[in-house]
Amino acid sequence: MIRYIARRLLQSIPTLLGITILSYLLMSFAPGGPVRALLFGPNTRPEQLARVAAVLGLNDPIPIQYLRWLLGDDWMRWDSDGDGIADGSFILPLDADGDGIPEPPGMSKGFLRGDWGKSFIQRRPVDLIIAERIPATLELGVASLLVSIVVGLPIGIYAAVKRGRIFDNTTRVLAVIFNAVPVFWLGLVLIIIFGVLLKDANGGPFLPMGGRRPPTSVGLPPIWERLNYLILPTFVLATGGIAGFSRFMRASMLDVINQDYMRTARAKGLDNRTVWFRHGARNALIPIATFLGPSITGLLGGAAITEKVFSWPGLGQVGIDAVLQLDYPIIMAVVVISAIATILGYLLSDILYALIDPRIRFD
Amino acid sequence: MKNLLKVVLLSALLALLIVPMAAQENVPAPGEGGFIIEGYFGGSSVSSLNPLIANDSASNTIIGFIFPGMLSIDPATKLPQKGQDDALIIDWEISEDGLTYTYTMRTDWTWTDGTPITSADVQYYWDALSSGLVQGFAGTYYPIFIESVTTPSPDKFVVKFKEASCTALPIGTLGVVPSHVFPKDFAEINDMDYNQAPDVTGGVFNFSEFRPGEQFTLLANQNYGGAINGQVIPTGYIYLNVPDQNILIERFLAGDSNIISFVPPNRRDDVKAAAGIKTLEFSPGNVWDYLALNYADPTNPQSGYDENGNRIDQGHHPLFGDNRVRRAVALALNIDDIVDGAVFGYGQRMNAYQVPGTWGYPEDLPLIPYDPAAAIALLEEAGWVDHDNNPATPRIAQGAKYAPDGTPLSFTLYTNQGNSRREAIGAIVQDQLQEIGFEVNFQTVDFTTILDIIDGQTFDAFILGWGAGVLSDPDPTQLFSSQSDILGAGSNSVSYYNPVVDELMAKALNLPGCDPVERKAIYDEISALMQADLPYVPLYAITGFYAASEKVVPWTEFGGFPYDKIETWYVRQN
Repeated sequence: MIRYIARRLLQSIPTLLGITILSYLLMSFAPGGPVRALLFGPNTRPEQLARVAAVLGLNDPIPIQYLRWLLGDDWMRWDSDGDGIADGSFILPLDADGDGIPEPPGMSKGFLRGDWGKSFIQRRPVDLIIAERIPATLELGVASLLVSIVVGLPIGIYAAVKRGRIFDNTTRVLAVIFNAVPVFWLGLVLIIIFGVLLKDANGGPFLPMGGRRPPTSVGLPPIWERLNYLILPTFVLATGGIAGFSRFMRASMLDVINQDYMRTARAKGLDNRTVWFRHGARNALIPIATFLGPSITGLLGGAAITEKVFSWPGLGQVGIDAVLQLDYPIIMAVVVISAIATILGYLLSDILYALIDPRIRFD
Repeated sequence: MKNLLKVVLLSALLALLIVPMAAQENVPAPGEGGFIIEGYFGGSSVSSLNPLIANDSASNTIIGFIFPGMLSIDPATKLPQKGQDDALIIDWEISEDGLTYTYTMRTDWTWTDGTPITSADVQYYWDALSSGLVQGFAGTYYPIFIESVTTPSPDKFVVKFKEASCTALPIGTLGVVPSHVFPKDFAEINDMDYNQAPDVTGGVFNFSEFRPGEQFTLLANQNYGGAINGQVIPTGYIYLNVPDQNILIERFLAGDSNIISFVPPNRRDDVKAAAGIKTLEFSPGNVWDYLALNYADPTNPQSGYDENGNRIDQGHHPLFGDNRVRRAVALALNIDDIVDGAVFGYGQRMNAYQVPGTWGYPEDLPLIPYDPAAAIALLEEAGWVDHDNNPATPRIAQGAKYAPDGTPLSFTLYTNQGNSRREAIGAIVQDQLQEIGFEVNFQTVDFTTILDIIDGQTFDAFILGWGAGVLSDPDPTQLFSSQSDILGAGSNSVSYYNPVVDELMAKALNLPGCDPVERKAIYDEISALMQADLPYVPLYAITGFYAASEKVVPWTEFGGFPYDKIETWYVRQN
């Protein structure tokens, strides 16, 4: 198995590299560019635009910009005698602007050497910005995944067992509705119901309308003291998951329910609950593993719209802002994280599948 | 009768007792006035709380609270004023050549660690910015104008400008940072912990906590040098990130925040009707919208001048190259309809490019009338004829100045996608111009794409808006001078060129003494010329609108600055 995992991981390296190249190109060819988006105003001077472009390294050709992001620029222009002035260069000219003074030496080490660069807007290290947001994203993601599984799977099992009855038909219709309802709309409706229309004893919103904790709280209270902040965003994020898991489980359970071993179990006189859950559901869960991998991927990818609606300070919000502001270093970081999460998610699916189903072998 | 008299007298007595009791509300002790909570939707990416590095409006809002104000603004005139307690700079002198500004600072204002704020802090601010080592964008702006800064004494600093300009006064005030806690090596500023957690400040509030993507929490600074009576009443201020504008309003109405400084026009009536909410409307508002018409040939875009300063032939736009067509557009637009449709009546019409409520606004210049008959006559005169007597089809050129015969009176109008206000303007403009024989191909594109189109000067027309701040100077040089007509970078993307306007702009900008009355007279003349030339068809300035919970008192304001005397505010507990 270890060999299989190692081979899959090795195969993913060119995939990842291809994704970064493609993403960088797409981003760079997007109209407008970050400098103009940053400095659009009636009093913006052309010389200011030029200086900001130089500060951000956007005057260089796109391949150089990409290489700087990937491998850094301390090898493109360096200072060998330590006087703070560049005295050697490769690829880049020593004096790019032709003013007779060498440009400062490159300081970036590049993504592959752990330097994710600095945000164009925030001027802070990207890894720090990402690290600040991951806990909130995981908190919401794990909560919604748990709710999706805990609610979705039993619904799917019961719907299969009661196939064609009211419960089955109702849950199927609801699953379609929840899959189709835009997250933004559902979030807004819930905010209006539980925040504006329903009030608590003090006249405040019945449930928090956004955020992760009370604004006047000191520090981050433990999660059990702020579960009320999780209820609405978790429900909104979980609706798609509940719908997906229930439909998938129902289909899988229907496949299993007519198997010989199920008939045998019934013939042995086992009660329905034992037949459904011990013999049926256990086997029906095998295909669910393929669904679980991508779901776990979603944990890190962030739920951008849900985070936006509920002012949840996660990775999704950072990603949206970065795209709107063409903040290349953050966009690249979010792309790479999402790509790695996707690759690992599918690998996990395959491993889980093989572990659960003895008929599958690593090859 | 006697009983009635008794009742009246008793009522009057009670009223006399109750009224003063109600008026004498107990003002909380300093620092115990509760939290002022404001939501904002400007994005969760806050750059820095270090004024040398901050790049975005959310950061600058917080910086405005935790750093001293440099210049006091007169609420009535919106002009800088001397000798006020709410700003560090209390006086200034301008040299005769207009190049040197000597500012005098207060000497009794201290940083939160007790160190006096002096001109050395201004000097450090400038030295850091001009070093080229600090990564904020301020360092790319100030050195364009300023040649040097010197500090002859702790309470004075002298700013020498590269060129004389009547807009120099606020630029020269620069800013302050606590130089005694900042590094000597300016490059180290970029990675200071101070940037996200400034521990030595000097504004009305102290920094308390930054929760990325969530909020900033500030606490009252009882040593604030600009405080009335030396007291800061509120406990603190919380700036809450609410990324969606609709939800921001709902949360405000539900009591999640207690002040709001931007309410979109389509929600203002809801906010005004809500119980427990008070509102303020004022001019100038935050934004004015316009319809820009390209003078030059969009198929062969060129800058206004070559490298040697010679005019470049930019050709003519087939429609808008002719002043009569531009005037026809302006006359055919019912701006009152646009104000109602786009901003729900919360807008003031503009007569040219100055914002109503600013000191440069030409009150005597009449508005452009709505006169479709005159517009049609102008189009006929300009050689655009209704060849088939069918109003549903566009007119065509027959002897038009810059378009070959047979050219349809058709153009593409852009605005930025997702801005419902401008999308509404575009739809109304499309309808109203169609009535006089235009065919308007209205397109909404994302913001960065429209910037690309504008900078590339490949458009026929577009709808956008500009901000109007408190210190809004009437100088339009960057927007309309021919020197700003630079392909790919200049703000005069419509290629407007009027040598008389160029000359007047330079005269007003460099007027010796910079007397506002004399400058205004020149700007009035410029406004009149530009109303005739119409590089922009002026639409409206959105009325400013703030709202607060009735629990927030006294909640004063003046146009464009929603936090006036915030140190006196408090939140009633019941």
